[in-house]
Amino acid sequence: MKKKVFLNIAAVLLAALTILPAHAQTAQEILSASDKTRNPGQPFRLTNTLVEYIGGQPRDRVVLVVYAREDKQTHQFSNLVRYVEPSRDSGKMVLLNGSNMWFYDPSSKASVRISPQQRLMGQASDGDVVTANLSRDYTSKLAGTDKILDVDRQTRDCWHLDMAAASPEAIYSRVEYWVEKGTNRPVKGKFYSDSGRLLKIAYYHKYSEQLGGQRPGETIIIDAVDQNLVTTMTNSDWRPAEIPEAWFQRDYLPRLKVD
Amino acid sequence: MRVRAAVFAVALCAATFGAATAQQDSDLDRIPTMVQNGETPQLPADQSTAPTHGKYYLEDDLSLSASRGTLAVPLTSSSSSDWANATALDAVDQWTLAKDLTVNLSDRLAIGESEGVGFPSQAARNDLREAYISWEPAERFYLEAGRINLRNGIALGFNPTDFFKARSAVSQASLDPSAMRGNRLGTLMLRGQRIWDGGSLTIAYAPKLYDPAPLAGSSGFSLNFDHTNAADRVLVALNIDVEEFSPQFLVHHESGRTHFGFNVSHPIGQSIIAYAEWAGGVQPNAITDAIAFGKSVGTLPSFIPILRPANPARGFRNDFAAGASWTSIEKITVNLEYHFHQAGMSKQDWRNWFDVGALGPNQASEVWYVRGYVSDQQMPITQHQLFVRADAMDAFVEHLELGGFSLIDLEDGSALAQLYANYNVSDNWTVGTYVSAYLGGARSEWGSYSRTGSVIFQAARYF
Repeated sequence: MKKKVFLNIAAVLLAALTILPAHAQTAQEILSASDKTRNPGQPFRLTNTLVEYIGGQPRDRVVLVVYAREDKQTHQFSNLVRYVEPSRDSGKMVLLNGSNMWFYDPSSKASVRISPQQRLMGQASDGDVVTANLSRDYTSKLAGTDKILDVDRQTRDCWHLDMAAASPEAIYSRVEYWVEKGTNRPVKGKFYSDSGRLLKIAYYHKYSEQLGGQRPGETIIIDAVDQNLVTTMTNSDWRPAEIPEAWFQRDYLPRLKVD
Repeated sequence: MRVRAAVFAVALCAATFGAATAQQDSDLDRIPTMVQNGETPQLPADQSTAPTHGKYYLEDDLSLSASRGTLAVPLTSSSSSDWANATALDAVDQWTLAKDLTVNLSDRLAIGESEGVGFPSQAARNDLREAYISWEPAERFYLEAGRINLRNGIALGFNPTDFFKARSAVSQASLDPSAMRGNRLGTLMLRGQRIWDGGSLTIAYAPKLYDPAPLAGSSGFSLNFDHTNAADRVLVALNIDVEEFSPQFLVHHESGRTHFGFNVSHPIGQSIIAYAEWAGGVQPNAITDAIAFGKSVGTLPSFIPILRPANPARGFRNDFAAGASWTSIEKITVNLEYHFHQAGMSKQDWRNWFDVGALGPNQASEVWYVRGYVSDQQMPITQHQLFVRADAMDAFVEHLELGGFSLIDLEDGSALAQLYANYNVSDNWTVGTYVSAYLGGARSEWGSYSRTGSVIFQAARYF
């Protein structure tokens, strides 16, 4: 009898070992893998074009050039954002280097220090435009696995992550994030304020090979507060770039040349 | 029992899944059809050849103003019109001549119409704000020469360390000090700057080219170097990154006067930036300074002064601005600042100003001259001042900016207040309105002005 019980237990254990993956990814590992999908591992620049739709109709276009560089020790990205269009904003710059954030207006020659909250200004804010490692700024837990529709109405089998801000650089208080199994591509995100209010819903799609990996070519941001607003954020002209650390300070803002 | 529980659980799961799917579908349904169809109008072409063009715009300002009946100290000349219109072509651009060589230009050509202004000689005005060449002989080492708008200072309402602001004002619609800084004359100078990891050093030398021009001595197409380059000046500024304080240290020397300056800022939590700015040096008070200037340019007669400062001693005087900005989740930013200008007028100085000014036209002319001089220097006239500014982006509707500011004289409680609204009609068109009021009693800083208020309508077309 004892032998039979032992055999049964052994069989159950064997079966369990068979169906378990060799190594179950933790939520943080999934998030880290999705970061690697979104962000090139080298300093780079890209052009970001934001088209704002009001009531389904295109209303405005903003063109930005973004320079990003990752600190290999802290894994924190520093970003320089330069406005190209519209003409009224041409030449304006934003520096985001941890909590050292400045806005520069070439008309007034003024560098104004901005708070983390001001990253959220605008429907697609500076916080959305810049490159960041979410796994550095958020702690995540696995909320489950979901089959969800992507923008192209294709069903994607996703990890569903529930993320909480873990550093002052975190832009949103809480994020729900869907990452496709196998590819580690972000498919969808829901972004919440400190008070728990849903602010934005983002869909990532149009993946293509850029700077050594599959990167999202377009993010669609649905405003959860204003039901009329949708913004598309298109990344183009990805290029590796030599970006020294010295660029990420306020006195360099007037000096950046966009070629 | 178990069966009923299982059925309920399955139903609950199905309902939850259904609701989630429906919610997601509704999210997706909000995506514009043209985006879903990949039609994306106005999507960029490859931006590798994106023109980083300058900023060009045409602006028209129509202003209407109201005046007070009687003044505590009458103005000796009252030629101001109750209406005025100004049309300006504004250009800011940069051209690359060679890999490390750029030319920068900033100019504003304006034509004004108002009662009593001759056309076109007095009506047209050109302000060459900047024209300089910049050379980068080594990486992040810059040598520049020409007319440069060099400004420093972290505060919004008053910048003690903005040493090149004096006599640089260019007329414009907004009275907001932070907006006025955006539209001013640069100074002819040589500037060198080195930027390294975590810091920068700037050294600028501005030579004296002309003797100083009298107040209101600028003519329509003058380069006004007799305003901006009427003294030899040297500025040294050092920026370093220390934790999150971003301190800046400055030394400025002009005509035997040396001033030291300091800027610092720090974030507090997610929504607040605290900042402070200080400058200090040996200097006379504003009244003595103004009268000495008036005599030197021949505007004031030799028997002046009749108005004497309460504290005539020449000594070390401090300028200080400290405040914070707070931004809400609703995109509202509020700035609150305290300003201290030790060389400014004290309560006793104000009493003297009104008493002397009421004695007669000559005395009135002298006391108003002091006010005009301090205004031309872009310094506060009073010792203690409060500055409040609020700005709401996308207020009520997208692309509508509402805001206002107030400068409050803490000696007498009077205030200059301005409310504004700017609406971006499209990528190229912006319309705006500015409503200003000079509030206070007849014997107060802001209540003593001849104007009680003004309304300005503005339209701008960007190219």
